[in-house]
Amino acid sequence: MTQHWIDIKNSNAILIMGSNAAEHHPISFKWVLRAKDMGAKVIHVDPKFSRTSARSDHHVPLRSGTDIAFLGGMLRYILEKNLYFKEYVTEYTNASFILGADYDFKDGLFSGYDPVTRVYDRKKWDFVKDENGVSKRDKTLKDPRCVFQVMKKHYDRYTLDLVSQVTGVSKKNLLLVYDTFGATGKPDRAGTMMYALGWTQHTVGTQNIRLAAMIQLLLGNIGVAGGGINALRGEPNVQGSTDHAVLWDILPGYIPAPLATQATLADYNKSIMPKTSDPMSINWKANQPKYAVSLFKGWFGEAATPANDYGYAWTPKVEPGEQYASMFMFDRLYKKQIKGAFILGHNPAQSMPNSHKIRKSLQNLDWLVMGEVHLTETTDFWRGPGVDPKKINTEVFLLPCCHRGEKDGTTTNSGRWIMWHHKGIEPMGQSKSMGQIEVEIFHAVRDLYKKDGGVFPEPILNLDLDRVYDAEKTARKINGWFTRDAEVNGRKFKKGDQVPSFAFLTDDGSTNSLCWIYTGSYPEAGKNLSKRRDHTQTPMQAKLGLFPNFSFAWPVNRRIIYNRASVDVNGKPFNPDLPVVLWDGSQWVGDVVDGGGPPMALKGGKYPFIMHTEGHAQLFGPGRVDGPLPEHYEPAETPLAKNPFGKQMSNPAIRWIASDMDKFAKNADPLYPIVLTTYSLTEHWCGGSDSRNTKVLLEAEPQQYIEMSHELAKEKGIKNGDVVEVESIRGKTQAVAMVTVRVVPFKIMGKTVHLVGMPFAFGWTTPGVGDATNRLTPTVGDPNTYIPEYKASLVNIRKAAKVTELER
Amino acid sequence: MPKTFLIDTSRCTACRGCQIACKEWKDFPAVHTKQTGTHQNPPDLGPYNYKLIRFKEYKMKDRVEWLFFPEQCRHCHAPGCKEGADAILPGAIIKDEATGAVLYTDLTKKFTPKQAEDVRAMCPYNIPRWSKDEGKLTKCDMCFDRITNGNVPACVKTCCTGCMNFGERDAMLRLAQERLDKVKKTYPKAQLLDPDDVSVIFLVTESRKLYHDFAERKEQPKTQYADMNRQEFLTAMTKPFKNLLG
Amino acid sequence: MSVSRRGFIKLLGAGTACLGLSRLGLDVRPALAYSTQMKTAGAKEVVSTCPYCSCGCNIIMFVKNGKFISSEGDPDYPVSEGSLCAKGAAFRALHINEHRIVKPLYRAPGATDWVEKDWGFMLSSIAKRMKDTRDRDFVTQNAKGQAVNRLDTVMHLGSALMDNEECAVTVQMLRALGVYQIDHQARV
Repeated sequence: MTQHWIDIKNSNAILIMGSNAAEHHPISFKWVLRAKDMGAKVIHVDPKFSRTSARSDHHVPLRSGTDIAFLGGMLRYILEKNLYFKEYVTEYTNASFILGADYDFKDGLFSGYDPVTRVYDRKKWDFVKDENGVSKRDKTLKDPRCVFQVMKKHYDRYTLDLVSQVTGVSKKNLLLVYDTFGATGKPDRAGTMMYALGWTQHTVGTQNIRLAAMIQLLLGNIGVAGGGINALRGEPNVQGSTDHAVLWDILPGYIPAPLATQATLADYNKSIMPKTSDPMSINWKANQPKYAVSLFKGWFGEAATPANDYGYAWTPKVEPGEQYASMFMFDRLYKKQIKGAFILGHNPAQSMPNSHKIRKSLQNLDWLVMGEVHLTETTDFWRGPGVDPKKINTEVFLLPCCHRGEKDGTTTNSGRWIMWHHKGIEPMGQSKSMGQIEVEIFHAVRDLYKKDGGVFPEPILNLDLDRVYDAEKTARKINGWFTRDAEVNGRKFKKGDQVPSFAFLTDDGSTNSLCWIYTGSYPEAGKNLSKRRDHTQTPMQAKLGLFPNFSFAWPVNRRIIYNRASVDVNGKPFNPDLPVVLWDGSQWVGDVVDGGGPPMALKGGKYPFIMHTEGHAQLFGPGRVDGPLPEHYEPAETPLAKNPFGKQMSNPAIRWIASDMDKFAKNADPLYPIVLTTYSLTEHWCGGSDSRNTKVLLEAEPQQYIEMSHELAKEKGIKNGDVVEVESIRGKTQAVAMVTVRVVPFKIMGKTVHLVGMPFAFGWTTPGVGDATNRLTPTVGDPNTYIPEYKASLVNIRKAAKVTELER
Repeated sequence: MPKTFLIDTSRCTACRGCQIACKEWKDFPAVHTKQTGTHQNPPDLGPYNYKLIRFKEYKMKDRVEWLFFPEQCRHCHAPGCKEGADAILPGAIIKDEATGAVLYTDLTKKFTPKQAEDVRAMCPYNIPRWSKDEGKLTKCDMCFDRITNGNVPACVKTCCTGCMNFGERDAMLRLAQERLDKVKKTYPKAQLLDPDDVSVIFLVTESRKLYHDFAERKEQPKTQYADMNRQEFLTAMTKPFKNLLG
Repeated sequence: MSVSRRGFIKLLGAGTACLGLSRLGLDVRPALAYSTQMKTAGAKEVVSTCPYCSCGCNIIMFVKNGKFISSEGDPDYPVSEGSLCAKGAAFRALHINEHRIVKPLYRAPGATDWVEKDWGFMLSSIAKRMKDTRDRDFVTQNAKGQAVNRLDTVMHLGSALMDNEECAVTVQMLRALGVYQIDHQARV
C-alpha cells in the first residue's frame, strides 16, 4: 500500500477492483465505511457480486481478464473530459518527457519486439536527452512525441463502445464509474484504489496495476491523504516476506539478485547504481551498493572483507534472462532437474496452478523437507488421490512448526507497519519456530562441512548465524549495527551501535543490515520500535489518523509514501484540509517527508518520486518487459476468437511452459466455453490448510462450491445444491452448485459468455470437503512477475453423475 | 438502566466474526455442516450456535441486494419464553432487570422435551433451541459474564464495521435513530425492528419479511396450540409443572 | 505491556445480577449457570498478531498457568480497534487444535505411512541429504566460464507465514548454501 489502512477513511471515492476487500481484508471495511459515512462513493468492479459489493454504493460486474480495457477506457475518458490534475501531471509525472524516434506501437505490439525470443528491446522506448543527459521535456504537453500525447493516442482506441463490448460492462455503468472516480482529479479530492490478487493473477497482472497507477497519477491521487494505489497483501506476512526477499530474483530490500555476468562486487554495484544527470532528482537507488554491502556484511560478519568483496563471490549468481519463479521450478522438477526441496509453510500441491502437474512433479524428488503445522496436500502428496505410495520413492522429513502465538517476532502489515508479536505460550508438543528449524538445519549441514570438508565450503563456514534463533537479536541485525567505530554524515558511532537510519549505511563494511528498508526500526539498543504502542500524535497527524508512534513503518517511519506529491512546488498542500506534509518555511511537518530537501521550487528543491532515476512518476513505464503502456490482451485462455483491440491475442512477452501436462484450451474453444475465476473467502485462507483444520471455520464454510448464474444453471439443468462436475482441459473437480443472482452472464462482442467462480481452499486431506480447484487452472503467468493466471481460464460444467469428492 | 444492542445491518459485511467469536467465548464445539448451495452455515441456530448470520439474496429492479441478518436472541422486555417457562417451572428462565438479559438456567433441564417445545413456541422470533447433549434449553445470554464485568458481549467486541453495538439503552436508542435517519436517505424502507419491545434492536434496510421468516415478530404460539387463546395456552402449559411438583 | 484499553466500553454500574427469585419462594441460585466471573479473570495478557491477512490485527492472548484460555482483538491496535473477523476470532482454535503435528514425522521411500522420529534423526538425515546433493551438484562455473557458485538441484519454497526475522535467517542461510531457487506465496 502506498497509504495505510486507516488513511482509507480520508478518501472521497474508493474503487475496489481486483479485490474482495470485505471478505479477504474484513478490517479494511471499517475504514471504507467510515469514508462512506463522510460521503465517499464506494464502487466495486468485480465479476461477481460479493460481500464487498453488498456494502458498496455500486457493484459493476465485468468479465474476468478485461481490467485493462475497463481502465483504458477510464484513462481515455479522463483525458477527453479534462478531468486530470494538470499541475500534478506536468510537474510530477513524465507526461512532458519526449520519446525517441524508435518508439512505436502497431498491431498490438510495441517497437523492439523479437518474435523468436518473445523479448522486447527496451532501448527502443528511451526518452530523448538534452546535451547534459537530462530527459527533454515539453511542459505544454503539446509535442506529439511527448508522453502525454503518445498516451492519449494509445488509448484513443479504448472507446466506450469497444470497452463495453469487451468487458461486458454496460455503457451506463462505465460512465458511472468513470464520472465518480474521475471527479477526484480536483486538488482537494482524493480517490483510492484497493486491489489484490484479482489484479495480479493475470497474464497482464503488472500492467493492470500500472494502468491503475497511471490513472491515479493523472488524477493527482498518489501521495495525498486518502489517495493511493493499494495492494491489499494477502498472506499473514507476505509484505514482510517480500521485503526480506524469500524470492529468487531479489535480495532483501528489493535489490536485484546478482547475475552470472557480474563477476565482481564492482560489476554488481555498477548495475544496481542508476545514474542521473538531473541535480533535482534524488535518485535514491544510487545508494543501493551501501545496502548490498551492509547485507553481505550482515551475512558473513567478520569474514566479509574488502579483499573478498565482502563475500559477494560466495553468493549464488543466476543466468540473465532465465526464470526461476515457482512455475518454472516445478517445471524443472517435472523434468527431473531438481532433486531436493525444502517447503516450509507452503502448500503448492493445493495452491499452485495445474495441481496434477505439481503433484506429479513432487514424485520426482529424492528428498523433501517440510515444515508444517498440519498435514497438507503437499506433506502427504505421496498418498494423494490416485497415488500408490509404494511407487513413490521420495524420502519425506516433516518437521512440526509452531504457531504465531508460540513465538516472538515481527510481521509487517499491508500499510508497512512492522509490529512485534509476543510469545504467549510454549510451542505445542515438539514443534519449533520456522526460524529455529531453518537455523538448526543450517548448523547440522555446517557441522558436516566442518567435520568432513566438501565442495565450496567457504560461505557455509563463514556465515555469521547463531546456533539458536533469537528474534530480538535478528531484529537488531535486520536494522543493522556498526561493525567498527566510524563516522558517517558527520556523526560518530561506536562499534556495536545500532544504525539510526539507512542514510547512515555504508559500502565500506562499517555497517551491517539484513534489510535496509527496515533500518531505523531498531535505532538504539533496547529501542525496538516495532513494540511501540503509543497513540500520541499532533493534531495534524490525528486528523489523518497517522499514528506515527505506533510500531514503525518502513521506510523511515513514513506512513504515506510519495507524500512529496501531496504539495505544490512550493510545499503547500493541494488539499489544505488534510495535509500529509507541508513546508512551514524552514522544515517539513506532518508525515516523514520523502527524501528530504526543500520543496521543488526552492533552492536545492527535489522531485517527489525519489525512487525513479528521473524523479518523476512514470505514466510511460519503460521498465516493464511487456511494454511501456498497458495494452489489453486476452487471457491465455479466452472465450473470444480474436482480440478486438488488435492482432496480438495474448501478452506477447509471456514465456510459455511446454510439457505434456501443460495443455491450453483453444481460443473460443467450444469444449470449454465458460470462464472460470477462482478466489478465497472470509472463512478460509488461501490453500485452506490452517482454516480447514480449524473446525469452527469449517463449520461456516464446509465444502467446495461453484457460484453460477441462474441462466447458466438453467441452460445446464443444474439446481441449487446439486453436485457439479467442472472440467478444464487439464482436469476435473466436483463442487456444490450455488446458483445465485450475484453472478450474471456477460454479453461479449455480441455473444453470451458465462462465468463461474470457485474458491481454492478445499483439499483432500480434509475428508469430504472436495479437492483442489487448481486442478483446473493453467500454468501461465505475468511475464514481469510470473504470478499465475488463476483468475481467468476456461471450463465446462455438468451435473455430476456420481458424487465422488463431496461425501460428508 | 438496562442494556441494549443496536444491530445496524447496513454496516454488516457478514464476515461472521460475531458468529465465531460467540462460539469461541462459549467454548462451543464445531457442528457438522454441509454445503447446500448457500453461504449460510450452519443452516440454523442451535445449542452451539447462539449467533448466526442469515443470508438472503434478491434481484431487485436495478440492483442485487444481499441481505445479512446477524440473528440472535432479542432479549425481549416481556419475554414470551419466560412467560411460558414460569407457567411450568418458575426460575427456569429469568430476566435480569439490571441488564435486561433473559437467561436460561440449568432448571430448564427439568423440562420434558414437550415442555421445552412449548416454551420454544412462545418465542416470537423462534430463538430457543433444545440441546440434546445437555438436555436443556439454550440461547444467547448476552454474554452475561462479560457484561457484568465491564466488557461488551463477544459478538459486539469482535464486530469489524460497527454493525454490532451495545450500551446503555438511552444511548443505543439515540444511536439507532441517528443511524436510521442517515440510512433512510439511501434505503427509504429502512426501519428499526420492534425497538419498544426488545433489548436487541435491528436496523434493516429493506422490508423485514425479506430477511427471514422470524425477522417478523410472530406473537401467537405456532404449534398445536395455535388455535387456543393465550390464556388457554398458558393453562395448558402449567399442568405438567403441577405434575412435576406433585 | 502498557495498554490504555481505550476501546473497551466500560459498563460501570452494571453490577451483578439481581435475580429476584426469592419472591417465587424458590431458591434456584445454585442452579444458575451464570457465573459472574469471566473465564479470563486473572489471566496474563500477551499481544500477538493475527496470522491471516495483512490487516495485521493485534490479538490479546489470555494465558493462565501456561494454558491458552481465550483470545480477542486488541483495542489498542489503531487499525482494528479491537475487532476481528471470523478467522481472527478463531485464533485460539487455530492454536489449540487436535490436527496439529506435534512430533517430527518421517516417511521412507515407498512407505505407506508416517513414522515418528526424534529431532536428532531428522536433522542429521536432512543435513546428510543436503550435503550429498550439494557436493554432487554444486556448480562453480556456468557454460560460459562465469563464476556462479550455485546449487541448481535444490529449491526452497515458503513462507509468508514466517516472521520477518525468520525470513531474514532463511534467506541468509539459503544463499550461503548456494540455493537460489527460492520462492513463496508472493507469487501465488
